[in-house]
Formats: sequence, C-alpha cells, structure tokens
Amino acid sequence: MSTSTDIDTGYADEADQVSIWDRIGRPVAPFAWPLVLGGAVILAAGCFLSWSYTSDVLGNLSIDFYPGAIQNLMIIAAILAVLFALMYRGPLSRLGEWLASATALRTLGLGSTVFMALVIALIGLQSGGLINVMPGAWVSLVGAVLLLVGAAGLTPRASRDPLHAHLPAWLDILTIVVLLATVLFGAAYVLDIEDGTVFSLVVLFTGLVAYTLTRAGFFTWVGIVAQTHRRVLMLGAVAVAFLFPFTQDGSDANMSIATQVLIFASTALGLNIVVGLAGLLDLGYIAFLGAGAYIGAMFSHSAFATIGWKPNFLVVVVIGALVSATLGLIIGSPTLRVSGDYLAIVTLAFGEIFRLAMGNLDGQDGPKLTNGPNGIPAIPDLEIGGFSFGETHEVLGITLGRFANYYFLLLLLAAFIITVFTRLNDSRIGRGWIAIREDEKAAEAMGVNTFGLKLFAFAGGAFLAGMAGTIKAHHDVSVTPDQYIFLESAFLLAAVVLGGMGTVAGVLIGATILKLMPEKLRFVADYRLLIFGLLLVLMMRFRPEGIVASKRRQLEFHEEDEELADRVEEVHLVEEQEAKA
Amino acid sequence: MTDLLQQLVNGLTLGSLYALIAVGYTVVYGIVQLINFAHGEVFMIGAFGALATWTVLFQGTTALWVLPVMILGAVVASVTTAVIMERIAYRPLRGAPRLAPLITAIGISVALQEAVRLFYPGAKSKIPFPRIDVVTGPALSFGGVTVQRAAVFTVGALLMSAALLWWFVNHTRTGHGMQAVSEDKDTARLMGVNVDRIIVIAFALGAFLAAIAGVAQGLLNANVDFRMGFLAGLKAFTAAVLGGIGNIQGAVVGGLVLGVAEALAVGFIPGQFGGSAWKDVWAFVLLIVVLVFRPQGILGARVVDRA
Amino acid sequence: MRSHMKFAVPVVVAALALSACGTRGEEPGTGSTGGDGAKKTVKIGVIAPLSGDLSALGKGIQHSVELAVKQANESNALPGWTIEVAAEDDEGKADVGKNGATKLAADDEIAGVVGNLNSSVSQQTQPVFAAANIVQVSPANTGPSLTRGADGNTRPYKTFFRTCTTDITQGAFAAKFLLDQGINKVATIHDKKTYGQGLVQYFTEAFKAGGGEIVAAQTINPDESNYAPVVSKVAPAKPQAVYYGGEYPQAGPLSQQMKAAGLNVPLMGGDGIYDPTYIQLAGATSNGDFATSVGEPTDATDAGKKFLADYEAAKYAEPSAAYGGYSYDAANAIIEGLKVALKDASDVKGARQAIVDAVGKVSFAGVTGQVGFDEFGDTKVKVISGYKVDGGKWTFVKSENLG
Repeated sequence: MSTSTDIDTGYADEADQVSIWDRIGRPVAPFAWPLVLGGAVILAAGCFLSWSYTSDVLGNLSIDFYPGAIQNLMIIAAILAVLFALMYRGPLSRLGEWLASATALRTLGLGSTVFMALVIALIGLQSGGLINVMPGAWVSLVGAVLLLVGAAGLTPRASRDPLHAHLPAWLDILTIVVLLATVLFGAAYVLDIEDGTVFSLVVLFTGLVAYTLTRAGFFTWVGIVAQTHRRVLMLGAVAVAFLFPFTQDGSDANMSIATQVLIFASTALGLNIVVGLAGLLDLGYIAFLGAGAYIGAMFSHSAFATIGWKPNFLVVVVIGALVSATLGLIIGSPTLRVSGDYLAIVTLAFGEIFRLAMGNLDGQDGPKLTNGPNGIPAIPDLEIGGFSFGETHEVLGITLGRFANYYFLLLLLAAFIITVFTRLNDSRIGRGWIAIREDEKAAEAMGVNTFGLKLFAFAGGAFLAGMAGTIKAHHDVSVTPDQYIFLESAFLLAAVVLGGMGTVAGVLIGATILKLMPEKLRFVADYRLLIFGLLLVLMMRFRPEGIVASKRRQLEFHEEDEELADRVEEVHLVEEQEAKA
Repeated sequence: MTDLLQQLVNGLTLGSLYALIAVGYTVVYGIVQLINFAHGEVFMIGAFGALATWTVLFQGTTALWVLPVMILGAVVASVTTAVIMERIAYRPLRGAPRLAPLITAIGISVALQEAVRLFYPGAKSKIPFPRIDVVTGPALSFGGVTVQRAAVFTVGALLMSAALLWWFVNHTRTGHGMQAVSEDKDTARLMGVNVDRIIVIAFALGAFLAAIAGVAQGLLNANVDFRMGFLAGLKAFTAAVLGGIGNIQGAVVGGLVLGVAEALAVGFIPGQFGGSAWKDVWAFVLLIVVLVFRPQGILGARVVDRA
Repeated sequence: MRSHMKFAVPVVVAALALSACGTRGEEPGTGSTGGDGAKKTVKIGVIAPLSGDLSALGKGIQHSVELAVKQANESNALPGWTIEVAAEDDEGKADVGKNGATKLAADDEIAGVVGNLNSSVSQQTQPVFAAANIVQVSPANTGPSLTRGADGNTRPYKTFFRTCTTDITQGAFAAKFLLDQGINKVATIHDKKTYGQGLVQYFTEAFKAGGGEIVAAQTINPDESNYAPVVSKVAPAKPQAVYYGGEYPQAGPLSQQMKAAGLNVPLMGGDGIYDPTYIQLAGATSNGDFATSVGEPTDATDAGKKFLADYEAAKYAEPSAAYGGYSYDAANAIIEGLKVALKDASDVKGARQAIVDAVGKVSFAGVTGQVGFDEFGDTKVKVISGYKVDGGKWTFVKSENLG
C-alpha cells in the first residue's frame, strides 16, 4: 500500500490516486473513452485551420490547411492521445497492460490545454489583441479540454512492471535506433529555429511529451532496455553524434554552438568524476581548464606566444594535461585532508589565484608568460599532419567548415573522457569513491585508502580538463584571464548537478541545456544570469539529484523514502539475475 | 618606519571591513555548518540600502545626522534579505547533504547580484556614494602617516560592534542560546531553546554587521558596485577560517590579521611579486597555508562535530 | 447544471471583452521589408560597449554611426542599396567582443564594422574581421600596436583602420603639457590593459626625453575598487602629479581616494577618462585634474557644430560622448568606400576586398578634419587637445597638431 503521496514513483499501481481528477471525471465516466477520442480528433482538426490573423506571429500560423511548426506539435500530441486511447481500450490493449495509459492521457490532456492556452495568449500578445486569434486555435483549445475531461473520467488501471517485460532483442534494438534517430533529426530541426519564442514552445512541448511518456512508464522500460543493450546504445549514440555535422548542410552557425557545448560538456564530465563520483566539492575547476588552455596558447604559433619552443600539438596536449594534473596534486595534497566545506572554499580561492596570476604574469609583475590581462590572441588553427582544421573540407558532397573539424576532434575527446569515466565508475576505484561519498569514516575503517583515492579523483579530473583546455585554446583563437572566472566554475558545477551527478547522460543533458539556452533565447539575454541563479535554488529545493539521476544518487538525497529504497534493491536483484542467466 | 606605520593603518582599515563581514560567516557556520555564500551579497545590499535611503530621503544633503538613518536603511535591507534567504532557501534544506545548500547559496549569490544590477536604477555601472561631513573629507595626518576619515569610521564601527556583540552573546538569554545551539543543537532543543529562532537571529546578526561594513566601504571607496560583494565575501570567509571558524573573537582577529598581512604584502614584498597586483593572491595563499598547518585557526574553531 | 452556468457566463463575457480590445493586424501579405522591394541591403556593423561601465562612450558611438547611415539613406548615397546598422555589444571585454565579432563576421551582408572602443578588445576582434576580409574602422583605439605591430613597423592587419590618432601622439602631448606647467616629477599608474599600459609607456618615454622624472610606477587591478595600497606606495615619492593610463570607472575613484588620503596633486589621464562620469565618480576634489583627448573639441569646427546639431535633432537617448565625431567619420569612411566598391557589385560578400581597398584610399572632409589613412591605416589627422576639470566640468585648455 503506498503511503507516501508526494513522491511520484510513476510505477505500477495508480489505483491509489484519489484527487481532483476523479471529481472532474466522475460525471463523464460513461462517455470518457469516446470523449478522449473525440477531443483528440478535434484538437488535430483545429491544427489544420489557421490560428493567427497575421503571418509574423510564432512562425506563420495564418494559412489554412498548411500547419506551421507549433500546429504540427499539437497534431503529434493528438496522435499520441489516440494511441494511448487505443491502448486503454481497443486494438492496442495488450500494450496497455504495460503502460499506464490513463495517467498518460491525463498528463497529455492537461499539458495540451495549458499549451494551447499559452499559445493563444502569446498570439494575442504578439499580434496586439485576442481578436487576432482565429477560430482554429479556439477549436484546438476545445479539443484539448475535451481530451482532459475525458481522460479524467477514465479509471486508471494497474499496469505491469516493465522490469518483467521480455521482448525479443531485435525489437529492443529497433527502439533504441528509432529513439536515437529522433534525437538526431529533432536536434537538427530544433537548432535551426530562429525565433526564441517558438524555440521555447518546442522545448516545452518536448518536455511535455517526455513527461507524459515517463508517467506512462515508457522511459522506465527504455532505461531497462538501455541497461541490457548498453553496447548498442553507445554505438548508436556515437553514430548520432558523428552524423550531426552532416545534417547541417555546411552552415557553421550551429556547429560553433555545438563545439562550445562539446568543450563545456567534456569539462563537465571531468568535473563529474570529482564531484559526481568522488563527492569532492570543487569550485575552482575552471582553473584546470584554463591551465590547459594557456599551455596550448603559450606553445602555439601565435604572434603573442611567449615560449619559443613550438612542439607538435599532441605533445602540447600531453604537456597541458600534465601541468593541470600537477596543479591538481599541488592544490589537493594539503586540502583533501580537511572537511568538505573547506575544500570548496580552498578550490574557489585557488581558482581566483589562477585567474589573478594569469593576469599578472606579463613581464611587469612577474615573468613574461601569459601576456597579462590582454591574454594571448590570434592563435592559429590546429594542423595535425597536414590536415588544417581551419579549412573547409568536402566529404560525400557535404561541406564541413572549421567548426565541424573541431567538432570531430572534440567528439574524440568526449568519447575518451566518457570511456575513462565509465571504466572508473565500474571499477574498485569507483566503488571506493562511492564508499567515501556516503560515509568517509566507515570507508576508512574498512580499509579504503580515502586520501589516495580522493587525490586520484582530483588529479585525474584535472588531467582531463587540461586536455580539453589545449583544444579550447585553438578553437577559441584567444585566451584571456577573463574567460576563467568563478562564474564559469559555477556553470560547470551547475551542469553536473542539474543534469544529474554520477551519470554520463545527465551531465551531457545539463551541459547542453546550460550552453544552448542562452544562445537560442537571446531575447532574455539580460536576465540570463538571474534565471540561472533562481534555477539553481529551485532545483536544489525540488529535485536535488538532477534531471537524469541514477537511482542510487536519488536515494542519497531522499533518505527517508522507503519505496525508493525497495525499488533500487529490486532493480539491482533483477539485473543480477539477468547477468547470471 | 612611517612606511610601515602607513601600511599598518591601511591594513587595519581593510581588516576591520573583513572582520565585520567575517562575523556573519562564522556565526552562521558555527550553528548550521553552512557556508553562506550569499553573505557577500548581503553586504552589498546593505551598501545599496544606505545609498537608496540617502537618494530617496536626503538627496543633496551631506550633514552628519543623515548617517545613522543611512545605517538604519542599510540594516533594514540586509537583515530582510538574510532572513528571507534563511526562510525560503536554507530552512527546507536543513537535513540535506552538504552539496545542496552550497549550490543553493551560489544560486542565491548570483541571483542577488543580478537582481541589483537589473532592478536598481543605474546599477549597471558604479554609482557614487554620498559624501557625508566629518566621516569623509580631507585626511587626517599624524606624523608622516595619513589616516582617511572613513578609515577612522570603519575601525570605530568595528570596535563598537565588537563590544556590542560581546555583550549580546555573553550577557543576554538569546546570546546564551546561540552559544548553546552552536555547541550541541539537539541538547539545546531539549533544554527548551527555540533553535529555529536562534538560527534566524544568527543570520540577522551577521547581516546587521555586514550592513555596517557596507556603509563603511561606501564611504571609503566613494562608490558602490553590484560586484563588490564577491571578493569581499571570499576574503571575509578566509578571515573567519583564519581566526577559527565558529569563533566570534576569531573572526575579528582573523579579519584584522588578514588585512594587515595584505597591506604588508603590498608594501614590503620585494621584486616582481610585490605590489598591489598580487595582493589578493597572497591573501588566498595565506588561507591555504593556515588550513594546512593549523586548520582550527588562530583562536581555535568552535564547530559541532558532524558525525 | 447551475454551477456550470455560473462558471460559463463570466467566461463568455470575459472572452468577449478581451476580444473586443486589440485591433486587427495588418493584412497578411505585406512583406516585412517596406517600401521599394528592389533595393538590396548592406549592413554596417557597430561593436562597442553598449552595456556596462563604458556604455556612455559605446552608445555615443552607436548613435553616431546610426546618424551617418540615416543621412546616407536619406540622400541616397548608394543607389540601389539600403544601409542598415547591426550593433553588437562587446561589454568592454575581450571575450564578449570576440564572440560578437564572430557573429558579425558570419553575416554575409556586413560590409564594414565601426569598432571597437577598447584596444584590448580590438586585439581580439582584429583577427576575426581580417579572416573574413571585413574592413574595421575604429573611432577610439589609440593603442599603436594595433596598426604598427609589436615592433612598431609592421602592419599586422590590412583591414584595420582608425580615425583617431595613436597614443604615441597622445602620450607625447601629455608629457609636454605637464612639463610646460613646471611639473617634472610624476608617478604613473596603469591598469595593465593594452591601452593603459601603452599610453603610460609612450608618456614615460616622452616625459623622460623632456627632462622629467618618473618617481613611481605602479599598476592596479581593474576589478579592485580600493586603491589605498597603491596610493600609499606612490605618496612617499612625493610626485607633483599622477599620470593614469586606463578608463574612467577606475580613474574616478582613484582620484577621489588619492585626494582623500592626502595625496593632493592633479591626476592626468588620456581619452579613456575624458567623460562626465569621471567627474561624477571623482567627486568635488576632481577640480584641477587633467585629461587629453584625440582631435579638437567637436564643437570647435563648423563641421563639428553641424554634426552636433544633427545629432541633437535626431533625439537619441544618449549623448554622442567623446567619440561621436570619430564614429561619424568612421561610418562615413566606410560609406565613401562603399560608393566606389559597390557600384558594380552584385553582393556584399564578393565586394569585400574592393571595399577594403577603397576605404584605404578615401579622402573627404569630415567632422574631425580631412579624413584619410596612411599606409599603416592610421589617420592623417594628428591633433590632440588638453582639458581640465573646472567647476565640475571638463573645460578646454589647448590643442596642438603633432602631425
């Protein structure tokens, strides 16, 4: 019997949810199912009519029978609703045993209604009055409301635990491939959207669909499939990432954002080892990235480079990584013995020392190494064995510009870091870190070399950041101390924490969101940092484990949740069984 | 010799500022084991509160009687901010792992900075701070040593605040309650101390002193800037650790020591690594050195051992 | 049923009320580009600090360019083309500037850019614009290395020009200015950025050559707001004046703190401090401080007076500030170049090399004098003026042509 009502488990047994839904739903219960179908149809029908009188609002919604982007979204929602309705009763009801279709329909209904209301409000706002909203939009709104009311009338049924679903392997793999393809083309499409409001609506819609599918239990099943077919997923993900530049048709605008996201994500993954795996609060991580970048700049062929020796780039990468790792050792050795809070402040202080030192070593206040506050500009593009990263190349008829070249290199780097991360996570070292994270004294009592492991995490994370930094110097063309301020460390930490500590997917999502949003939502550019600060506060209050959290981590943050603990144990046992079988 | 004395004077002035802010850090850390990252912003909001009071009520006046009202305005702004912060952001996270309140604090710090920058008129660049008679004006000279008037105000403010604080903590019930809570929260609760209220008072106390520091900084530098809280906060936390975290006298001593150390580093480190360019670096190096060789600080820490 | 009616009626009424307000939009079909659809667009970019501490100067640059473009469009200076302004904010920071420059450089309709304000930012944006072959004319960069290279004799980027003269001239003028007043013991302070450091360097050379003595040389961290340590290091050397290389957000408080700490001597700076905000920040004790600025005061010439009058009439939110005239001339230099280069061109991107060549050869009468560039891209007009703070305002003292 479920006793906690405020933690959403999303699993089986929805029969316990007594709420407003039933109050709305009871009067319509006999008509619920046809109402849902009817609502979905009306919603879709409304999308084929025009929604706005003028053509410049939200990407041209003013032509009948030619749906614009946002109308297409609602058509997709309607199709989903029909599918779920058929799962509840009808030809797809076998599928309906596994997925909680009634809950999904309720979420979809509520979400569509809110979405339509928002769209109508925006059309009214942007075109100067609700009178500019054409009947088509109101029709769709009515359809959404009908869907909502109908869904409220459906009695939720208990659904089976996806943990026990056994589908043929080829179906699993097909699902993974289809999902990845959706991600690839969806990403390409979304990145091309120019209008900030349309972009936000699309993202909102994606979130709505994702949430609906989560409530249905779909992603639980996907998660289990992903665990079982890990190799396929990884290969697929790599393929998707590799194919991305080819969908850009030679345009560099999105590629430059993509490369910045990759650099940021790579650094965040390095930080994930320090914060996510070993649980060390590092607030000065940007200094390691900066050390790598400065090494890359100082040894480059830039006119302002301060060191005469110009070795091969691969040598520079190694030097950069080693210098960063050494810095990590220097700062780690004295401070890892002290408590976690002190470590945070000391790393913060070290980050500031690094920034100030880089700004001072200009020959006047120190040896001439870094060219002071002006930094080292005009760093030429990389050249590895004759292949110049600055030139455009033609592959299979598609032009790949400068940023696409760096993209592939960074992809290689990211893959390397992810490999290191996963191997460490699954090893004795990783388990040692988990032990230290959860209770350091107990770990030490059990013979875990806490200091050594912590130092390894610190220096290891620094090593990876140094590598990323050397590439960053060439990508950015210039290195200045202002790029390595505390705020950047805060962003990195936020990417790790908001995305989900200790998981690769989580950090990637977090990094993408944090780097992508400011680029696309330029109309709130001024409020960007304010939103960031508030986001941190809200996330810590309501979902401290992040968006994509490993269950273990979730448990750490919600220690009193018995159900969650049971669930973690159950999943773990089933996995063990399957591994033995 | 006068050089040394001059730098000592500079150091004590700077140190007094650090000390006033450090008390806020140390008191909060001693009771809830939270590094209140946003305390630097509380200090900044105090300065802006004083500025706002002057702009709204006393535009154009420079008379001395305006100063206490400005200080009152600063205190109101700071204390309100701190109390709201505690209520909304920190209290719900009392039992959570260390990372959650720390990240929240960073978030609040950034949000407050931006809020002031966006919503206070003219805050996107530096705003001149009003010149008040007697506490600003031509400097006083003793022998070869010049002492700024605002510096006298700062040191005086520290001395008065320290005295008031000492009396409050040692001779009032609430003060005794604070000492009890920082020693052992649960036993204090069992003894009938209202722990929640004490925590709010701790935050308010820190904010009160930070507000005074904000006014002092405004008078010293002649301008306020929405970024002024960050570095000052960091140095002040360094000072708190230096003196012994959780220990109020430690915060005062730590602040003064840090200020003097910085000033002496500026004046007397020879060669390329001296001078004001490296001032902050030396302060942070001092922090690291203290943590390595004497983590409990100069006067000894007073923190509950969190098992 | 009744409860439903109670709910429905207000909703219907509200809906009617809401729909009653608001006007019908335009007929769909009228394109967003109004007027003559046959004209092609060419853009002139502006990259300057439009927000932050130096926005007073940056906004003046932006509006002056807008004025020049407006006048060019109205007089149909480029037949068959409409000129637009694309403004990017560099916040006075090298990094932000580089990103803004990358954005402008990716736009195929950009023919030329006016910017930047800070020499340290231009150092980052020069390579970006040069790689895209976009001509860049700065109204305010006085750092000599931008056109003369690190060794003083090699032009690093053929696309970079400036309408203001360099710090070699400015520093020399300042040195002479102080020596003429009998001041021969000076302490220098700078903020370590390209502009400040360079200015102090050339001032020092000229000052020593003229027989003066530099009694102290210090630096400050531009993020710092308390200058007591620096002042305490400088004061014992008993300078008769302090020469500051840097901008007004630091110079103002430095002047105020200096005098409050007992070092009661004038502070002199370059064009970076020549702004009314300096006096605001420096307070009442700033009377007696000096500054130099490139060129003559804008209202000294007839062309200048006309420019100021036109600017006033256009009612921009911010005044044209110190570099208004230079930005106006920079924009017009680009427009003059476009007159030649775009005559037979079909698109902007292909004409970029021609635009660079044409701008290098312009010669016309501008607000700041006869606008023309030498083989390094430096302006041929080498006039510097000295100003003094008197009664809370900058007042003109004298100017000299050091060409």
